[in-house]
Amino acid sequence: MTPGGKSLKLARRLKGATKYAILDAVSPIVAVLFAMAVASIALVIIGKNPFQVYATMVSFSFGRADSVASIFFKATPLIFSGLAVAVGFRVGLFNIGVEGQYLMGAFLASWAGFAIKGLPGYVHLPLVILAGALGGALWAFVPIWLKVKRGVHEVITTIMLNHTAFLLLHYLIFDVFMDKSQVVVGGAGSPRVRMPPIELSARVPNLHDALAVFGINLPAHAAVNWLLIGGIALAVGVWYLLWRTPFGLELRTVGHNPRAAETAGIRPQVVYFKAFLLSGAVAGLVGLSDLLGYFGYLDIDFPRGYGFAGIAVALVGRNSPFGIILAALLFGFLSRGGLGIQVLERVPMETYVILQGLIILSIVVASEVVRRYVRAQQKKEEAAAHAEP
Amino acid sequence: MGVSEAVLRVDGVTKRFPGVVANDDVSFDVRPGEIHAVVGENGAGKSTLMKIITGLYPPDKGEIFLRGLPAAFRSPRQAIAAGIGMVHQHFMLVQNFTVAENVILGAEPARRGLIDLREAARQVAELCRRFGLKVDPLARVEDISVGEQQRVEILKVLYRGADLIILDEPTAVLVPQEVSELFEHLLTLKEQGKTVVFISHKLDEVLRVSDRITVLRRGRVVGTVRTGGVTRQRLAEMMVGRPVLFDLRRSANPPGDPVLALEGVTASLGGREVLRDLSLVVRSGEVYGVAGVEGNGQTELAEAIMGLRPVDSGEIRLRGENITNLPTGEVRQRGVAYIPEDRHRRGLALPMTVWENAILGTHRSSEFASRGRLDLRRAFRATEESVLRFDVRLTSILAPVQTLSGGNQQKLILAREFRGQPAFILAAQPTRGLDIGATEFVRQQLLSARDSGAAVLLISADLEEILSVSDRIGVIYNGHIQAEFSQDEADPRTLGAYMTGARTRERKGAAGR
Repeated sequence: MTPGGKSLKLARRLKGATKYAILDAVSPIVAVLFAMAVASIALVIIGKNPFQVYATMVSFSFGRADSVASIFFKATPLIFSGLAVAVGFRVGLFNIGVEGQYLMGAFLASWAGFAIKGLPGYVHLPLVILAGALGGALWAFVPIWLKVKRGVHEVITTIMLNHTAFLLLHYLIFDVFMDKSQVVVGGAGSPRVRMPPIELSARVPNLHDALAVFGINLPAHAAVNWLLIGGIALAVGVWYLLWRTPFGLELRTVGHNPRAAETAGIRPQVVYFKAFLLSGAVAGLVGLSDLLGYFGYLDIDFPRGYGFAGIAVALVGRNSPFGIILAALLFGFLSRGGLGIQVLERVPMETYVILQGLIILSIVVASEVVRRYVRAQQKKEEAAAHAEP
Repeated sequence: MGVSEAVLRVDGVTKRFPGVVANDDVSFDVRPGEIHAVVGENGAGKSTLMKIITGLYPPDKGEIFLRGLPAAFRSPRQAIAAGIGMVHQHFMLVQNFTVAENVILGAEPARRGLIDLREAARQVAELCRRFGLKVDPLARVEDISVGEQQRVEILKVLYRGADLIILDEPTAVLVPQEVSELFEHLLTLKEQGKTVVFISHKLDEVLRVSDRITVLRRGRVVGTVRTGGVTRQRLAEMMVGRPVLFDLRRSANPPGDPVLALEGVTASLGGREVLRDLSLVVRSGEVYGVAGVEGNGQTELAEAIMGLRPVDSGEIRLRGENITNLPTGEVRQRGVAYIPEDRHRRGLALPMTVWENAILGTHRSSEFASRGRLDLRRAFRATEESVLRFDVRLTSILAPVQTLSGGNQQKLILAREFRGQPAFILAAQPTRGLDIGATEFVRQQLLSARDSGAAVLLISADLEEILSVSDRIGVIYNGHIQAEFSQDEADPRTLGAYMTGARTRERKGAAGR
């Protein structure tokens, strides 16, 4: 046995593993195509030509720069919420509470955005973003504290805190921080139920100037902003944390087998605590793209549902940070394309919901099929390696 | 010996599962009134073969003949109806039913639509008398011993009229006395004209009780031999495919200083005391074996030492330092290696990769982590070294650890735990479920660690293992060390008496040696 020969063999073995990684990456694409095929049945039943519908979906979504920008804008909060859910999943916790956490994050950010005045943007904006993260983490603190100290299941507490967050937000906006300075033209309705506008120093700039450098000129109404880049950077950060740091290794070990982690000297309760607060902090950023990059104020009709969508995004993205970016973009495209086919093809908006549901199902099934196949193959290879010597 | 004589004839049976051939053209026959042993390592295909015979799996190829007639059972029920009874390794009894109720379950004698329990008890008592099986038909199963429970399982198949009885690893759960009793029962069954197929990997037992032996290796029949015409050594060679070292070479080490000491340790679980006033000392350069019937506090003992379970009173000292109730991580940092009894539940994170599992526990050491970053290159290199040194067979260190066989998973745990030259090694059931080759390897590693000065605490349900590896032996019963022996004064019968609680509270002078 020469050492050289042995390490050569190991190198070959490493190559074998990439083969499965590719298979793993291809399976969601196949699943999406499969889901589109099944959704065609629904389209045929309502008397539409699926090919034409899908063609319109694509041409409408990608036909114009502002339409593409809209996909990215829609994807931005989903990247954050997908990441928040995935961090929970990776440690073995089901964070259903992203919904409530981002509302609280948005509230705290909004408060820091209007109440603090006179700071330059490069101080104010980071502060406001931090306030958002803090709001989310605070709202995550209660369930994880109850879980670690008292063994209360996080699914129950986070669901209840979602309702609490929404009602609390109503109270805070309507009764405490309502913007009284709104000028309502006589006889033209009532003032908006919203908090005071956020200082310009805490607004997130859009991407127009940056994109103009590359010769892409967006019309003024496109809302895609720097938080898209922020979300992608955060995905890289989460990936790094999970796969390149000792804490990430602990987090994933606890997620797979808390007892083995405990036996190795890791304290699962501490890891649960830290990871869930992190999940909450990321969740606190979900609403900021809308808040700081689009509306500029927090009102009672602030977009909801990103938290639940994040569960689907994490699922489709297989809890992988880069998968989540792609999944968020896919959902952004479906939402934008759904709008297109509603207007141009007179296909009901629900078609988009059907397609989205089918895609989630197909990807979950496909990934399971691939997982089993890869497992069987690896077992076979392992058996072969056994016979080899 | 004509073929028609055979009660059971297996002819060219092949069974494939994804990736493995579990049975490859297996043929053998069982003659009426014999005790026929089927031996082989784990994974040799014994269980699959029995499942095919009893109709749980259909064979891919080949046939089964029962008394000369083709018998392709499609369900265990058909096999039972044809007179084949199976006694499983893990008993399938209803704990709060009586013996008689368990025996008749599924084939109840009824009168006017009601179960006739009196008739049932009478029939069961009659069976007991006829086959010399001592068990009270009216006792509740939860109140009787493991050996008696096994008799209930045998009664179940007799009650259903089986004349070919298959026992799957029947001695795995028994203490030595119970094994002897079981063998007497088997001989009685044989005298009464029943045929017995006895599946085992314990060669001594097979040689003691069987008439003929069929050896399986990697799904193939190596041969069928007459028990009188074969030695243990030869049988082991047939099983493993190469000569096997039975007597582990051990040097006589003078024991060194105490490394681990437990003094009056008491722990409870849900209000019940699981460790009672437990004391023991393990010295450097010795293996201290803890023998006992499972469920007498072995698991709790290991967890208490490792800080995985709170200790109520008493003290655990490592090299003089009190480590009682210290967090697991800190216990480990003091040079403690731990091979947990259940490698899937406590030893490994199965879906994670080989390298991740290989550095688990030391992942925060300066070797693998610097400035909050994992040094993958070093982790890979260390894993590759471990894999080569402990001969772990695998396809890739990036593959999930669940793709490894049980033996290789255990070797990986050993490689991980032995890396830091531990002063104290806690090995709980380290060879459970491993084949002969891997078992031999693990035991040798434990002994070589001992030879280089480590203190080893070996907790095992396998008495043979305790006797062959330990320098001193303590018997645990009911959470307490009942007696201690040095290796040369220990014999299975005496140990067995303490293990069952037949003898208690005695401490021999070995501890002070």
